[in-house]
Amino acid sequence: MTVRITSAEGAPPPAGDNQHPAFELVALHKEFGGYAAVKRAHLRVRPGSFYGLVGPNGAGKTTLLSMAVGLQRPDEGRARVFGIDVWEEPERAKELMGVLPDGLAMPEQLTGRELLTYLGRLRGLDRDTVDARADELLAVLELTGDVERTLILDYSTGMRKKIGLATALLHGPRLLVLDEPFEAVDPVSAVVLKGILNRFVASGGSVVLSSHVMALVEQLCDTVAVMAKGQVVVEGPVAEVRGGKTLEETFVELVGHHTGGEKGLSWLSR
Amino acid sequence: MALALIQMKFAVLRRDLSGPRATWVFSGAVAGLAMAASTIAMATVDAPDLGTVRDLLAVLFALWTLGWMLGPVATGQPVLRAEQFALQPIPRRRLALGLLGAGFVAVTAVVSLVAFAALLVFGLRLGTVPALVSVPALLLQLTLAVLLSRLMGRLFGALARSRVGAVLGAVLTATMLVVASSGWIVFSALDAVLRTGFSPVFSTVVRALPSGWGAVAVEASARQDWLMTGLPLAGLVLLPAVLWVAWNRSLGPARWSRPTVRGSSADRAAPRGRASLSPTGAVYAKELRTYARDPQRLQSLIVPPVFAVLSALVPLAFGSTVFLPFMGALTALMGAATCANLYGQDGTALWLTLQTPGSERADVRGRQLAWIVVFAPLSLLLTAAGIAVAGQPDLNPWALTATFALLGGGAGMVPLVGIAQLTPGPDPRAAKNAAADHSDVAGQAFSMLFLALTTAVPALCVTLAGHLLHNPSLLWAGVPVGVVTGWVAYAMLGQAAHRNLRKRGPELLFLMRTGKQQQQPKPGQAGASFSKTLPVHRQCLLWISFLAGCIALFPQALVPTLMKLSGHVEPLWFLALHMRPEWQWPTVFLMYTIGVLAFTVAARIAFIAIKAARAA
Repeated sequence: MTVRITSAEGAPPPAGDNQHPAFELVALHKEFGGYAAVKRAHLRVRPGSFYGLVGPNGAGKTTLLSMAVGLQRPDEGRARVFGIDVWEEPERAKELMGVLPDGLAMPEQLTGRELLTYLGRLRGLDRDTVDARADELLAVLELTGDVERTLILDYSTGMRKKIGLATALLHGPRLLVLDEPFEAVDPVSAVVLKGILNRFVASGGSVVLSSHVMALVEQLCDTVAVMAKGQVVVEGPVAEVRGGKTLEETFVELVGHHTGGEKGLSWLSR
Repeated sequence: MALALIQMKFAVLRRDLSGPRATWVFSGAVAGLAMAASTIAMATVDAPDLGTVRDLLAVLFALWTLGWMLGPVATGQPVLRAEQFALQPIPRRRLALGLLGAGFVAVTAVVSLVAFAALLVFGLRLGTVPALVSVPALLLQLTLAVLLSRLMGRLFGALARSRVGAVLGAVLTATMLVVASSGWIVFSALDAVLRTGFSPVFSTVVRALPSGWGAVAVEASARQDWLMTGLPLAGLVLLPAVLWVAWNRSLGPARWSRPTVRGSSADRAAPRGRASLSPTGAVYAKELRTYARDPQRLQSLIVPPVFAVLSALVPLAFGSTVFLPFMGALTALMGAATCANLYGQDGTALWLTLQTPGSERADVRGRQLAWIVVFAPLSLLLTAAGIAVAGQPDLNPWALTATFALLGGGAGMVPLVGIAQLTPGPDPRAAKNAAADHSDVAGQAFSMLFLALTTAVPALCVTLAGHLLHNPSLLWAGVPVGVVTGWVAYAMLGQAAHRNLRKRGPELLFLMRTGKQQQQPKPGQAGASFSKTLPVHRQCLLWISFLAGCIALFPQALVPTLMKLSGHVEPLWFLALHMRPEWQWPTVFLMYTIGVLAFTVAARIAFIAIKAARAA
């Protein structure tokens, strides 16, 4: 079903880390009471790639990414991080990944710094490393000063995304998987987040993010996959996928035309 | 509008009666109807003075009303809440009417109506006029109960927003729990009461409480005392009217905002001490901070000791100090029950544990450690104080054994029950302004009480053996055995808990995200719950036999055994002790047999169902 524009598919690559895709999802499938939320979806993310997963609401992006990082058990299929199976060797795979899920809770009664200290120690990092990294992350993400003593419970949505990104970066992962990292984030905070992600990719890391803001994906990503109705309908370099048009136009074409929004609602006109 | 709300509630009720909660609703209804039937039975008892029956009904109605007031503590906020309609242009009065009407559409209301029909039975017994008086009286009593319940819900909701309020709410909850659970003392002495009536003071108090007004009116109308008929009835109209106004007002915008809790400053964020450097230490430090900052957790911390102390004080009124040494053990037991849903309270924050390689063990151990550190000093202190005050040296080995065994057993069961029976609720941040908006944790708390108690049985058996054989060293050996079984429970149940967490982590996260169990579990895989493969009537049988087993084995067999052996015989509601002396031991053994049989039936149903679920 997937239209591949690059020649990424083929024989399995030889051993050696950079030979493996940074992230590879093979035929991931999930049904909820007979409704297939994700239908045997494939994705392949090159090391060093900034990869965007776009799709309308309900396309199955969150379910796909949750299965891929080990938060939701798939019915079928595999997910590999640098060749390591997420469901067979979760501990090795999760060392390499940093994850930011959308809309999940945190230990709400901690401050940002307390959370990072807690997670650092939970991961077995030594005290000085944790303190130094927490300092740097909080400074870069502007979560110090007035908000130092604010509990995460009282964080705004933007601050939540920032502390979420900090938890994903804390252990120095090689792959970031971010579900809607820019959802409800103000433009100023968005600039900060984009800066961090661009630096991460520039230094050799790989990023996968999901979004339904096309402009953002066009601006940040080098590769894009479009998801609709549980399937990945197209995957490839941004320029090739959009092919002379804007990504938004291509997206609407791929996902299907809707004429809604022009007819009906007559009571709204005065 | 009001009608639409009532229809919505009917829809919710239909879903409850056909959904996965049906078993709970059904068993609750059966238990409730049994209690309602005994309430009606009380209206038919013979007594030389009908005033005694009236007082008896007043006591029962007070207990039912108290039950309604306590409801919101156990079951969380009602399904339909004012906040959900905040953006609709609905006049507040209509909203109040609708929400109140919806309050009547509930299994509990039907059960209570049956119970309150005792007033009609009492009226019919007295004549036509009292029967006519009883009908409005019983409807007004039910309205009063529903209104009080709704208002208590608002009050607890408002209190739970701050830490000070949470402490107040905890004390209030514990007090009401003690009063409600002490109600049975009245019925333990029913024979004497029926002969001589209640003491004048007690009788005045229960008649003065609004819950007794209906009974007063019905009885007075039989004596053609129209003043005492009219006055309580007028009160039953006026009081709900006042409460109605208060209910109306309580639906308005919140009067005070939630006080903000502040975390630690930058240089104090990292917990000190070598222990906190380990992953388990990190979880432990996080948990202690949560106990100190979260009003809900604080409430879990305050209810147990207050409940234990008050429970021990009530028998003091009858000159009995027998419960004092057990305050500590009761604190540990209640502590396990109030913390039964630790994982559910944290909501979807579980994802961080799942995403951190190999952190499940640290997560469980850290929580256990924090629970012990929070509850052990309280329990030990209360046990020591109780022993010192009671001055009953023969109870000391029992109290110490129970305290140590329950502290370990509680610390073991808290994560295990929390994971195995996780009750999903709203995510903490969704409920931050409505902290009382938690899930219905009553079932989980009850099973925790039972399971934590079972962990203490082996050690108490040693104490019992020592007592039976008049062997002081064996009697005291129970204490170190309690320490050992406590330690074993802590270690082994904790291990079972983190294995369970590792195995079912994604399924638990799904449950917390959606409030639903994962569909179509793979055969043989954990999460294949037999509750889905088992037909409802088998499930009911399972729970009824389990409950019957608990009642027969513990209060009806074990407690009378202990009482007979210790010589402190208080018949209360222990059937065996009401029998003639020569029949007492046979009755106790009959109860042991019934208990074991009932448990065997329950285990067999569960075993077959689990096998079927595996094979499916």
